[in-house]
Amino acid sequence: MTNKQYKKIKLIIIVIIAIIFGQSIVLENYIIPIVTLIITSLVLLLLRRRVKDVISDERDMALGGKSALIAIQIYSWIAVIVMFVLYSFKDTNPFYEPIGMTLAYSTCLLMLIYSIVFRFYNKETFSKNKKKYIIFAIILAIFISFFSIRFFSGEDNWVCRDGQWIKHGNPDYQAPIVECK
Amino acid sequence: MRNNIKELRNKLNITQEELAKKAKVRRETIIFLEQNKYNPSLQLAHDVAEALGTSIDKLFQF
Repeated sequence: MTNKQYKKIKLIIIVIIAIIFGQSIVLENYIIPIVTLIITSLVLLLLRRRVKDVISDERDMALGGKSALIAIQIYSWIAVIVMFVLYSFKDTNPFYEPIGMTLAYSTCLLMLIYSIVFRFYNKETFSKNKKKYIIFAIILAIFISFFSIRFFSGEDNWVCRDGQWIKHGNPDYQAPIVECK
Repeated sequence: MRNNIKELRNKLNITQEELAKKAKVRRETIIFLEQNKYNPSLQLAHDVAEALGTSIDKLFQF
């Protein structure tokens, strides 16, 4: 298989995924897109192995690295500015605050992942400070576990009961705007 | 950094596609190399030089 053929198939698969995702959102079925994503990823992986041409080389990697870094910087700046604007207008609309916070935390997470990946690729430093990174990974795993338990525990949130949103605990955000069925 | 990849390639009568296959890169990379728009890694410089039957110091002028 040539690189051109692979790219054409990839484009067709992306279109199919977009259609299935769109339909799944309309039908409120979230299993179909997950299954589709797994199957298409496997198909693409198998097709990629059959390509005899070079799909990407060192120039692509260098360009990809530069582009990713600039994209992260642009996203971070935009997210921080939008977060401050939304936060300053939180009295106008209470929904601005969670949106701003989500943006802020997503930026922090993006930067954290970037720094971890950067240091991981910096193999020399990684092998020298292996212990430090293992300790950091354990602390991060504990933090994520606690956060997940707290987030998915069902405490301090809104529960849908008899067609109404009822407080469970003491949630620090407004009731969901979606219809309670 | 300048190079004479194009001259050597023409001399050997091979296409950019063929050179790209030999050096295990995409054709676009060869185009950028010939136009002096991309500085290759030492590994790629070696691979291109080998594909053209020459050495790095003869292919690239610093």
